Amino acid sequence: MTTEHREAAPPAKGGAAPRPTPPASGTARPAPGPKEQRRAERRSRRYRWDLKYSPYAFISPFFLFFAAFGLFPLLYTGWSALHSASMLTPNEMEWVGFENFTRLWEDEFFWKALRNTFTIGIISTVPQLLMALGLAHLLNYRLRGSMFFRVAILTPYATSIAAATLVFAMLYGRDYGVINWALDLIGIDRVDWQAGTWSSQFAVSTIVIWRWTGYNTLIYLAAMQAVPNDLYESAALDGASRWKQFIHITLPSLRPTILFTVVVSTIGATQLFGEPLLFAGDPSGGTQNQYQTLGLYMYEMGWINRHLGRAAAIAWTMFLLLIIIGIIYWVVTRWVSRSSGEEE
Amino acid sequence: MRQEDDDVMHNTTRTTNRPRRRAARAVAVGLTATLATALLGACSSDDDGGGGDDDNITLRVGVFGQFGYEEAGLYDEYMEANPNITIEQDSTTENADYIAQLRTRLGQNSGLADIQAIEVGNIAEMTSELSPRWVDFNEYDVDTSHFVPWKIDQATDADGRVIGLGTDIGPTGICYRTDYFEQAGLPTESEAVSELFAGGWEDYIAVGEDFAANAPDDVAYLDSAGGMFNAVVSAFEERYTNEAGEVIYQESEGVQTAWDLSLQVADAGLTDQQQQFTPEWERALANGAFATLPACPAWMLTTIQSHAGDAGAGVWSMARSPEPSNWGGSFIGVTDASEHKEEAVALAEWLTAPEQQAKIFANAGNFPSSATAQETEEVQNATNEYFPGTQIGQILSTAAAEIPSTPIGPNDQIIQESITNGLVTVEQQGNDPDSAWDGVVSALDNALAE
Amino acid sequence: MAVVNTQPAPQDAATAGGPERGRRARRAKAGAAGGHLHGGWLTYTILAVFALGSIVPLVYSAIAASHSKARLSEATPPFWFGGRLFTNLERAWEDANLGKAMINTIFVASTITVSTVLFATLAGFAFAKLRFRAKNVLMLLVIGTMMVPPQLTVVPMFMAVAELEWSNHLQAVILPMMVSAFGVFFMRQYLVQALPTELIEAARVDGSNSLRVVWHVVFPAARPAMAVLGMLTFVLAWNEFFWPMIALTQQNPTVQVALTGLGQGYVPDQGVIMAGALLGTLPLLIAFVLFGKQIVGGIMHGALKG
Repeated sequence: MTTEHREAAPPAKGGAAPRPTPPASGTARPAPGPKEQRRAERRSRRYRWDLKYSPYAFISPFFLFFAAFGLFPLLYTGWSALHSASMLTPNEMEWVGFENFTRLWEDEFFWKALRNTFTIGIISTVPQLLMALGLAHLLNYRLRGSMFFRVAILTPYATSIAAATLVFAMLYGRDYGVINWALDLIGIDRVDWQAGTWSSQFAVSTIVIWRWTGYNTLIYLAAMQAVPNDLYESAALDGASRWKQFIHITLPSLRPTILFTVVVSTIGATQLFGEPLLFAGDPSGGTQNQYQTLGLYMYEMGWINRHLGRAAAIAWTMFLLLIIIGIIYWVVTRWVSRSSGEEE
Repeated sequence: MRQEDDDVMHNTTRTTNRPRRRAARAVAVGLTATLATALLGACSSDDDGGGGDDDNITLRVGVFGQFGYEEAGLYDEYMEANPNITIEQDSTTENADYIAQLRTRLGQNSGLADIQAIEVGNIAEMTSELSPRWVDFNEYDVDTSHFVPWKIDQATDADGRVIGLGTDIGPTGICYRTDYFEQAGLPTESEAVSELFAGGWEDYIAVGEDFAANAPDDVAYLDSAGGMFNAVVSAFEERYTNEAGEVIYQESEGVQTAWDLSLQVADAGLTDQQQQFTPEWERALANGAFATLPACPAWMLTTIQSHAGDAGAGVWSMARSPEPSNWGGSFIGVTDASEHKEEAVALAEWLTAPEQQAKIFANAGNFPSSATAQETEEVQNATNEYFPGTQIGQILSTAAAEIPSTPIGPNDQIIQESITNGLVTVEQQGNDPDSAWDGVVSALDNALAE
Repeated sequence: MAVVNTQPAPQDAATAGGPERGRRARRAKAGAAGGHLHGGWLTYTILAVFALGSIVPLVYSAIAASHSKARLSEATPPFWFGGRLFTNLERAWEDANLGKAMINTIFVASTITVSTVLFATLAGFAFAKLRFRAKNVLMLLVIGTMMVPPQLTVVPMFMAVAELEWSNHLQAVILPMMVSAFGVFFMRQYLVQALPTELIEAARVDGSNSLRVVWHVVFPAARPAMAVLGMLTFVLAWNEFFWPMIALTQQNPTVQVALTGLGQGYVPDQGVIMAGALLGTLPLLIAFVLFGKQIVGGIMHGALKG
C-alpha cells in the first residue's frame, strides 16, 4: 500500500530548497543531460506524489479497517432502528419508519435517563479532569518512585470489574457499608446510597472518578513531557511561582490535549454504562431508575426487554446527541480561538 | 486467489442452511466479509472440533452456573461407556453472561454447542420465537414420561415440540432460624413450625407479628417484601401470562393477592428491607438479620450454607410451605445447528435420566425434575447436617408433588422484577402503594411494548 | 542541526509566542528525563493519597483471594490476608484454563496494540501536520466514529462473524479492534503540540521522504504519546469483555472470557473469582512498567538523526 514511498528517492539536491507545499518543480532546475534529467524528473515526480498521496496512505489503514468492521455495525444499527425487531431474531425485521424515534418524545424513562446521564456526566467529568490535570502536574516533577505513582494511578483502569464491584458494594452498602459505618461513628445519619437520586448519582460518580482520573492523568502527563523545560527555567529566572508557571506555561501548552480529554470524556459520559451497571448489579439503574443512564437504558431495552429496534433508536439518538454537543463545542472553540487569534 | 477464497467462504456458509431474508443485509455482510478477507489476506481455517472422521465424535455442552455434571463425574462415566465420544464443556458462571451469548448465537444459528442449557426464566423465549433452533426430542423418541409433567409442559412449544429436558427444579419450603424462634417463644421443631404455617400465608404473617413482639429488636421476621411476593405468587396457577400467552398480570388474582400480602408484611415492619441476592442481602443473611425466607427452594439451602457459614450451622431449619411452588430450575436442549444430533440427544437423555439426576442431587443438591428420581430412597430420605433434624428430602418431595402447572411467558422475569422494584419503593422509600403500582404498570407498558 | 524556517508554519496552540519558538527548537537536544522541578513533601503526600485510593480495590481483591468462600460470607468481611491465596490461585488457574487464555490474550492484545499505535500515529501525524484534501471532514468522521455506543454493535458484528465462520476464532476479536478512532484523535492532538513543524521541514530539506520523516522525526517525537496509547490500548484489549464473550468460548478463550467460568455453583466462590481476577490483572501491571518507562524522558531523543 505504501510501496511507492519505500522506493521513493530523496529529491535531487542542489536545486532550490524544496518546500513542503507547493512541491518543488523539476523544471526549475538546470538540465545536465537527458538521462539524468529523466532521473531527476522521476525523482521529483515521486517527491510530488509522496507529498500528495502519503497523507492518504497514512490515514487509509484506519478508514479501511473502519469500513470493514465499524461501518456495517453502525449502518445496521441505524437500519434496525427503523424496524420493529426482536433481539432474538435480528434477521426478521418489520419496517416501522421513525416510530422508534418519535416514541422517545413521550418516553418518560428516556427523559429520565437523559437527565441522569447529564447530571452524572457533570459531577463526574469536571472534578475528574481537574484532578487529573493537577496530578499530572505533580507527577511531572522530579520524583522518587515516580514509576510507582504512575502505575498506581492507572491501576483502577486495569482493575477488574468484579474486584471493583466487590469493593464498592462494601463501601456503599446501606446496612453493612464502610461509609455508613463511618457516618454512624461521627453521629451522622446513615444514607441509603442506592435509593436516593442524588446519593446514588454521587456514588456512581465517585466510581467514575476513581476509574478514569488516572487515565486522564497519564494523557496529560504525556503531553506535559513535550513542553520544553527551558520555558519553565526562564520563567523561574523571571521569578514566576510554580502556580504561575502552571497557568502560563503548562495550561496553554496542553490546550490540544485538554480539548481531546474534554471531547473523549463527553463521549464517555454520554455513553456511561459500566459504572452504574457495576453499582446496581443490573441495568435498571435503581428501583426507580434513579441512576439509569442512556447507555443502561439502551442496554436494558435491547438485552433485557429484547427490543432490538427500540434499543437501536436509543443508540442512534445518543449518537445524534453527541454530534449536537460536538457542534456546540466546535462553535465555542471557534469563537474562543478567533477571539484569542489562535488555531485549535 | 482472493476471489477463490471468497467463493470457498460462501460455499461453506451456504451449507449451514441459514435462510437469507434480506438481500440488503446479505450484500452488506458480504461486503464486510470481502473486506475482512482481503485484510486478513487468508481464509479462516475451518477446523471446528467434531469434524468427525471415523466414528469419533466430539460433543460440546454449554452450561452455566450450577449443573455439576463434570463435578459429579458424569461426563467421564459416559465417555467410558461410549469410547467414540468425547465431551467438552463450556461453562459460564452467571446466566446473564451465558444467555447473552446463547441468544446472539441462536439468532445467527452459528457457533452453538451441541447441547445448551436453558434457565427456566428463558425457556419461554426458546419455545416461542427461537423454537426452530432446537431439536424436537419427540422426533427421537426420547422417554419424557419420568419427568414431572409441568416441567415438560414448560419446554413444549405451541406445536407440541419438546425442545428441552428437565434438569433440576426448585420446590419450596420455608426456611427459618431455630435460635430466633426460640427467643421469640415459638416452637423450633420443623414439624411443629410446619403446623404453625399450615393454614396459609395469613398464618405465616400472624406468626410474624407474634415473632416481632417477642424476638430481639434487630432481627426482622423475613428478608424482603419482594421475597414474600415471590413466595405467594408462585403457588398460583396463573401469574403473569395465561395459557394463551397473553400478559395478564394486571388482572391476575395471584399477583393481586401476593401484592396485598407483601404490602401487609412491609406495613407491619416485618421485613429487613433487602433486595434478594444483592451483596447487602447476602451480608444480612450471614449476619442473621432476618429469621425466615418464605420461599426456600432446594438450591437455597446451598445459598444459606455458603453465606451463613460456620456461624449459621445448625441454626437454620426448614418447614413445609403452606402453598409450595417452584422457583428456578433448568433444562438442556439440543441445538438444530448440531452436527451430531443423534448422539447429542442420546447424551442429553442420559444426563437427565433418573439415575443421573439422583446422583446430581446427592452431589450438588440440585433437586431432580424426574418424578422417578424424586421417588428414590436417596431423595426421599435426604438430610443435610447443616440443617440438623430436618427431613429435607421429605419436605421437598412433598412440595414437588404439589407444584401447580403454571403457564410461563417470555416476559415473566421482566414483570416480576418490575413488581419487586415497586414493592421496594413502598418498603424502603415509603411510597404510596397505589402510585407504586401505577409506576409498575407504566414501566411495564414501556418495557413490553413492541 | 539547523532549522530552516522557510515559511511560517501554522502556529501551534502550544507555543506561547515568538521567542519561545527559537528556544523550543534549541531545546531539541534537551530531552531531560522527568520534570523540571523537584517535588516537595506536599507533592508526595497528595500523590500517595491518590495512589492509595487507586490501588485499594486491587489490593482488596488480593485479600479476598486469600480467603475461603465461607470466610468471605461471614458477618464481618476480612480486612487482612488469609491463608488460602495459593490454593485459590491454583484453582483459578486450573479451572479457568488460564494458561491458554493468557497466551491467547497476550497475542490478541499485543497485535491490537501494535497495530493501533502504528496506524494511529501515522493517521494522527497526517491529520496534525500534513495538508490534504477533505482533511477536516475526514477528521470529523474519525471523531464521529467514537460516538457510536458499542453495546448494540455486537449483534451485527456477530452476523458478520457467523458469515465469515469466525466464531470461536481469535481473529473475531482481533480484527475489529485493529484501529481506534480514539487513538487517531489522541495522536493528532498530541502531535499538533509536540511536533514542531520546523523539524519536519528540516528533514524534508535534508531529502527525507515521508516514510523517513515518520521514522526519524515523527516516531521519536510521538514516543511518550505512543507509550501512553499503547498502555491504554493494551489494557482495553486485555479487559475487553462483552464482545469476546459473545464471539469466543471457554475452549479458546481470552482471559476475560475464561474468568466468566470461575467459581461456579449456586453461590459463586468469591475467593476463587478474586484469585482469577488478580491473575488476570497481573500481566497488565507488568505491561504498565514496561510502557511506563517509555513515557519518561522527553520527546526529542533521536529527533536529530533524520
